[in-house]
Amino acid sequence: MATARPGWSRRAQYGLFFSFLAVIAGIIVGLFLLVLSLVAPATFNGVRGAALDVTGPIASGLHEVTATATGLVSGASDYWDAASQNGELKRERRAMLRRMVEAKAILQENGQLKAALQLREQTHDAIAAGRIVGSSFNSPRRFAILSVGSKDGVRVGMPVRSADGLVGRIIDTGALASRVLLVSDRANIVPARLLRGGMAVISQGRGDGTIDVRPLEVGRNPFKRGDIIITSGTGGLYPPLVPIARIVKLDDDGAVAIPLADPANISFAIVEAPFEPAASADEASTQESTP
Amino acid sequence: MVRAALAQPRRIGKGPSRFAAFVPATTVVFASLLAALPIVTSAGWYPDFGFLVFISWRLLRSDPWPPWWAAALGFVNDLFTGYPIGFSIALWSATMLALDLIDRRTMWRDYWIEWVLAAVLLAIDGWLQWRLAALVGAPLPFTTMLPPLAIAIFVFPMSAWLVARIDRWRLGR
Repeated sequence: MATARPGWSRRAQYGLFFSFLAVIAGIIVGLFLLVLSLVAPATFNGVRGAALDVTGPIASGLHEVTATATGLVSGASDYWDAASQNGELKRERRAMLRRMVEAKAILQENGQLKAALQLREQTHDAIAAGRIVGSSFNSPRRFAILSVGSKDGVRVGMPVRSADGLVGRIIDTGALASRVLLVSDRANIVPARLLRGGMAVISQGRGDGTIDVRPLEVGRNPFKRGDIIITSGTGGLYPPLVPIARIVKLDDDGAVAIPLADPANISFAIVEAPFEPAASADEASTQESTP
Repeated sequence: MVRAALAQPRRIGKGPSRFAAFVPATTVVFASLLAALPIVTSAGWYPDFGFLVFISWRLLRSDPWPPWWAAALGFVNDLFTGYPIGFSIALWSATMLALDLIDRRTMWRDYWIEWVLAAVLLAIDGWLQWRLAALVGAPLPFTTMLPPLAIAIFVFPMSAWLVARIDRWRLGR
């Protein structure tokens, strides 16, 4: 569309006309594809997976570089006031060893009680372990890119956790990389439980790295600063007893919590199989899937 | 000494580089690829680099690429940034159309008017992303979209400067 006035030349006039047509066709095609993306997101799984395969390995390589660099910087702070850091760490370690012995005894008792009740339990092993190598930093949605894909057994809908806590669930897979919907995204609703007391709550992301926690029962605000939220296993997708977040602020009828697994500082993210596939398949058939 | 004498020696009348017609589109694709950088943040305050470079080129010249390339470049942007496929295709084609209509109505543009126009386009982009997120099931208060918009508006002059330098290089001036 270089010239404003094509002049007498028929060729230039036709050229201008057809360039307008081409742009309007582009707009119509774009709107059609957009409606398709919103209504039937599974249509573009292959194409999105291919794009993840192209950028995933590059991001993984660059991530190694940045991880080394930040490791050097944070390692330097370990040497500042090392003696008092040392003393404090030793005190913490002694206290934690005592709690660990208690916890192991309780675990053993738990196992004996379950055997007495003849409860069957399935253990879920990790399917794949990868690193978070990217995120959606230019979008109001909170996604992260994981460096393992369908080649390693990852499928859409699998929960992702790290040693610190729940990270999210897989929404897109390529052969080499996949996309995770973080717990802090607005569209991620996790059925959870308060660790102190076991009350059922709902955790929903707020889109800015924090989580909204609301109780399922009406009543007084049951939260206190420092409370831990863990998954309850309801819904069949996320395994139970996985820590999600820690409460930092109280709201009118809920609380604001910060996820325990910070995507920027996770060493390994583990992809597990859905906890109860039959239950989550029922859920998925009665509601739309996310993007 | 005269400043020109200190500058790098360049031939007078060097002419455009061989791939001058493809350089603008390549820079837009490269800016879209910046979304693959290993930056892990919990707030999405970075600007949409692909769109920023796109409007920088189009506001600088009216002929950086044939108009239908906007749809192809939008498709590439959607793939690499994780937006719903079709969002950038429709938006960038509509931007080409709108800017062509504006070009016909105005004789020239000042630096400040261009910045305001870029701000309006970036605001439309941000608003559409917000509406799309609300449609998909992720409704956010609109105030969360204001910091990224402000950042994008302030980054635009840098992107415009960079694009102008690349344009001078590719045309051999």
